[in-house]
Amino acid sequence: MSPELPTRNLAAPSSHAASLGNPLVKSEMSRYSSTMQGSDVQQQQQQQIHMQNRIPVAGGSMTAQQLASSNRPPSNEFVRKLFKILESNIYSNIVRWTEEGDSFVVLDTGKFTTQILPNHFKHSNFASFVRQLNKYDFHKVKRKMDDKQKPKFGELSWEFKHPAFQIHNEKALDNIKRKMAASKKMDESSFTGRMQGTGGENSTGTTISKDVFNNLKKRVEGLEKELFASKNETLGIKIEVQKMNSKYNALLESLITFKTVNENLMSSFNQLCSSLSNNAINIPQHIYQSAPGTKDGNLTAPVFKSHQGSPNNNEPNHAQSLINNPLPLIGTPSNDILLPLQTSESRNNGVETSSNRSNNNSNTTPGSNDANVADLKQIPNEFNAQVPQQGLDLNNVELRKGFHVLLVEDDAISIQLCSKFLRKYGCTVQVVTDGLSAITTLENSRYDLVLMDIVMPNLDGATATSIIRSFDNQTPIIAMTGNIDDGDLITYLQHGMNDILAKPFTRDDLHSMLIRYLKDRTPLCEQKRQLASESNVNHQQPNQPAAPQQHQHQQQQQLPQYQNEHTHPSLNQLSSQQNGPQNSPNTQLPQNQSSNLPMDRDFEDDNHISKKPRV
Amino acid sequence: MLDVIPCEVINWTILNEIISMDEDDPEFSRGLITQFIDQAENTFHDMDVHLHGDGDLKELDNLGHFLKGSSAALGLQRIAWVCERIQNLGRKLEQEFPSRETLLDSLPASAGVQPQDRVEPSVAPAVGAQEGNDDAVYLALIGRALAQARIEFKLARTELSQYYGAQL
Repeated sequence: MSPELPTRNLAAPSSHAASLGNPLVKSEMSRYSSTMQGSDVQQQQQQQIHMQNRIPVAGGSMTAQQLASSNRPPSNEFVRKLFKILESNIYSNIVRWTEEGDSFVVLDTGKFTTQILPNHFKHSNFASFVRQLNKYDFHKVKRKMDDKQKPKFGELSWEFKHPAFQIHNEKALDNIKRKMAASKKMDESSFTGRMQGTGGENSTGTTISKDVFNNLKKRVEGLEKELFASKNETLGIKIEVQKMNSKYNALLESLITFKTVNENLMSSFNQLCSSLSNNAINIPQHIYQSAPGTKDGNLTAPVFKSHQGSPNNNEPNHAQSLINNPLPLIGTPSNDILLPLQTSESRNNGVETSSNRSNNNSNTTPGSNDANVADLKQIPNEFNAQVPQQGLDLNNVELRKGFHVLLVEDDAISIQLCSKFLRKYGCTVQVVTDGLSAITTLENSRYDLVLMDIVMPNLDGATATSIIRSFDNQTPIIAMTGNIDDGDLITYLQHGMNDILAKPFTRDDLHSMLIRYLKDRTPLCEQKRQLASESNVNHQQPNQPAAPQQHQHQQQQQLPQYQNEHTHPSLNQLSSQQNGPQNSPNTQLPQNQSSNLPMDRDFEDDNHISKKPRV
Repeated sequence: MLDVIPCEVINWTILNEIISMDEDDPEFSRGLITQFIDQAENTFHDMDVHLHGDGDLKELDNLGHFLKGSSAALGLQRIAWVCERIQNLGRKLEQEFPSRETLLDSLPASAGVQPQDRVEPSVAPAVGAQEGNDDAVYLALIGRALAQARIEFKLARTELSQYYGAQL
């Protein structure tokens, strides 16, 4: 039983702990080791007897002297200073050991504060001296009374005591430690309990149980893991934010360019019309005359106006060149706004398609003003859809019955009106009156479409939508608002809303919105019935699966058929932006469109903003 | 520059559409109108309270927005227009409000404007306005706009009563 044995045994775990590089471990270890002292052979033997369960923490042979003379600066300098002052006994009328030698008394706090503190402790604040003592677990001793019931050391005396602070016993000072923070107290108390159990009177040696050590180790390792994980997470989030930011900028750019291109197209179309009519081709006046004149489409109106008055020479060529060579626009995405959505055929026959379109327009009954407005709104659609006829008789398209619509609106009158209209179109309507309820309702059940007011109590529609989008990317959400300017519109789309229905809206406005988002769909209630009858996943079914969790996956399966139908790259970008993190986390926007990116079903219809004439 | 107030008190295109819903629900449009009348009176009252109480522009903006929505939905376009002014004044987006004379002049003769309605109201200065900001300016403008809204409301009510052949 050689005394070195425990030391050697210790080496492994302590170096392991140190190699973790965790400051906590180091400090714990040093704390334990610093309390080790004295080489009591008996104790050594005792330790070895318990070797199976215990790890002695420092060489039992290390003495206090060795410890003090080691390089490590004593952590209780304050206590040592105080000890020296007391030992020297030069201020015996101010501060001195008590007769018992196990406590000291400050006889005159006033003099102590003015003479001793400034000289030895660099301050003159008795309270902080007391605080300091408390930190080292000194305790104030209740005043001892003498025979005459007067304080033994005078009215101004303060007596302090610490079990290890004794006259002429410098060694014991090593046992005076600063108190640990609250969280560590538990460990310490179990530790000191152990110490007392094995260490004897002077607590000259100690061990910590393997269990305690292992627990600590586990905890440290756990904490480290957590720290590492959250560091990674933070980094991930930072990167994500940057990505989102760049995507946002790209989106904004592409929206703006989309707008510009749209304006250019509209103006070219207008010029084309006027030039055609100049060449005695009959075009209904309302197509290009009434359009700019109405209050409709504030996006295009200024352009219309400016071009209307201009002389129309070379218009058809101009229009064609515009279509063939879309403006070289900032950022890659913009270039693709036009090109991919037109087959080479339609590109080469730009003029023909345009004239076709105008003929088609002339075929539609020039009925109410609203109908014309609706036609106008459809023009951008036609560019996307390449199936002009489909868009033109929009108002004649029959909506399937049974769509379940969630109406989020706080104004009683609007609720009654809107739900009346919706029911007229065969929809079932559920009404909630604020954004919060909208979220909970959509969490619990699914709807074919959501109509959402913007300004509402509790939570506004835009914010609600962005929260809804975190769990439901599928359900079309249409904003209904009276506040319309370009900034707002972008905000709404940015929040994940699919479209905007300007208030006040007519039945027709609502109908064309419903058509736009629901015409190719089967109402959810029917789907459920179908799903119930067919156990396998039905690939023909053009609609959403019932379970929200499967959306993304199944959408991708269904995607091709929509792509052929009518896709608009810029808007698909939009959808991929909004679903960016989930769908294409590593792809930058410009590359997105060529790849077979996952798109949201909701955006296969175009996202263009319909505006109602403001009255 | 402000938009121009619509000439017609009621946009009949919109209201007729609602009235056409009466086919399968005879009292539908009238019920909405009655509801609106209550709503408007309450809103005007609330506006008054804020105008002469705490001078809370945000609340006035909200109330303006609220009434704008329902009046516009029913085709009561002049009320909606004035409400939009109140909303924007509450947001300090606009710094003016047209005189009553200008606004009433845009009405057709059939609107039946009473002579006493033409008198520009003297709006008591708002109490809630604090020193050192321009809230008072906006509150005063909103005060005028609110008086205008009440006139417009009266005109709309008269026209609607004529249509339904009953005092609404």
